[in-house]
Amino acid sequence: MNAAQRQPAETKFEPLLQFEMEMGTFLSDWHHCDQLSTYMARMISHNRTDPVRHSNFFSSALNELLEVSFRGGSPEGRIGCAVYRQGPMERVKLSFPCPPRQRRFFREAVARTRKDDAYARYLDAISTDLAPSREVILLDLAINFDAEIRLEEDEPSITIIVDLPLEGIVS
Amino acid sequence: MSTAILSAPFQAEFDANSQEFAFAGVIRPRSVDEISHSISTFRNAIEEARGVLYINVKRLAQMNNTAFHAFSRVVLDACRTRSDIRFVVVTSSVVGWTERMFRHLGNIEPQITVEVYDSKFYPGQSFVEDTSFIPILRTQTKMTWRHERTILPRHGMRPGIVMADICCGIGDFAVLVRKEFQPARIVALDHSRASLAYARDVATNFGISDIEYTYGDASEMLLEDNQFDLVTCRHSLQIFNQPDLLLKELYRICKPGGRVYITNEKNSHCLGEPRAQSIQWTYNEVAKLFSHFEMDVELGPKSRRYLADAGFDDILVESFMVTNLDGEPQDFADVITAWENVYAGEMAVKRGDPPEFIERFRQGFRDHIFAALHPKGYAGWPIWAASGRKPL
Repeated sequence: MNAAQRQPAETKFEPLLQFEMEMGTFLSDWHHCDQLSTYMARMISHNRTDPVRHSNFFSSALNELLEVSFRGGSPEGRIGCAVYRQGPMERVKLSFPCPPRQRRFFREAVARTRKDDAYARYLDAISTDLAPSREVILLDLAINFDAEIRLEEDEPSITIIVDLPLEGIVS
Repeated sequence: MSTAILSAPFQAEFDANSQEFAFAGVIRPRSVDEISHSISTFRNAIEEARGVLYINVKRLAQMNNTAFHAFSRVVLDACRTRSDIRFVVVTSSVVGWTERMFRHLGNIEPQITVEVYDSKFYPGQSFVEDTSFIPILRTQTKMTWRHERTILPRHGMRPGIVMADICCGIGDFAVLVRKEFQPARIVALDHSRASLAYARDVATNFGISDIEYTYGDASEMLLEDNQFDLVTCRHSLQIFNQPDLLLKELYRICKPGGRVYITNEKNSHCLGEPRAQSIQWTYNEVAKLFSHFEMDVELGPKSRRYLADAGFDDILVESFMVTNLDGEPQDFADVITAWENVYAGEMAVKRGDPPEFIERFRQGFRDHIFAALHPKGYAGWPIWAASGRKPL
């Protein structure tokens, strides 16, 4: 039984596309993030109002998520990514094995995307950080893509669930 | 999957003459080290710049947070050390995320402003993107299709191809092509949201769901390189102030061995009998009027040169005359009426032409309509159809 079946609220989301691969294989090449996000974006956008621009927007968001898993994932186990749709919204569910310390970090980072000071934190990070932290990337998704982000934990993996209302933004 | 197929290498270049640093392509490095050379070039450009430095991200298809932070830091650091310089980030209304992402820089430093590049940058764009142009586009396609449906197979149109119709307007050509030739895929791009909305409505009403209408700037398209067997671009090079730039983009998205098909007019060769002199005078003035707005509606016979200069081979050029005898003469008259409304009613007024000129200008269109509807009259509108093959 997958996560979508376990949660009644998610049954309205129709599955579009998903991939699964060994985490070790995924981590063997950084370009997998770009390649997978580009391919998946193109596939799921073909029947959106403006497929080209939707694909560009979606690829941008998905790539950031995949990069997060690339930087924070453990080499053992499998990575899975599924995309669902409900009306103007796409839902991305990205599962990957994650060490306990990282799980805690993600828990806190996801919670911060919903706090009132999210934008101030985001601007501060752009102004001062030498490189973007994974927290800033989640803030980027919340602020620039109007994403709603949740986290599910199923040891040793985590699942980042991101709802992206891109059809409304693009069109 | 190879990276080369999915992600074109990015460019980060400085043009000292215009003090413009341009980013283009896909920039998704794993670490800042991978883009250290570009960052260094960017820093040098800022050091060299005086007054305003333009940061052009119109053709930036993708940039990950690693790169965004790295380049942003360079700009923000410069703002803190150089009070004498301003930065203008030029984003595109087509690439939506750039507008959303870069706007924050202006909220951090007042020396940075973010502008969205739009149709106002093209001198004549406002006329052709106005909804009043929709009747022209619709009636024109109806008239030209009778000829083009037989011409197109000579220029690479065939069932099963992947094609793009760039500057698709209200999308009626794409619908006709889909029905007649059954291409495997059609992407139809235009820069007029009103025309695209119309196109999507028509498609929905006809139950058509397999034409991919997309908003885009024909000179800076999001479409990837080497994608299409056939790229069509009708009546558009002539209303673009830099046709060579547009053709370069058409070449880029065309597959090697594929073809780019263009149609253009030579307006001064529009003709009619009776009242030939009045008609000829008006269409000579049409050419001058468009020239005033940096558009060349005399481009048709220059198609061969443009295609050759853009690097195409196996160039084919032919012309056809749309006339009042092709179908209903009233269709021809409707096209001319629409021209009169826009050319005399809007463009000549905008140029500041005196009423007496506009009246004489209008008379030529009316005489053209008279010729078209006259029981023994003849009215013509010549069009040049040309295509070139992108070398293998």
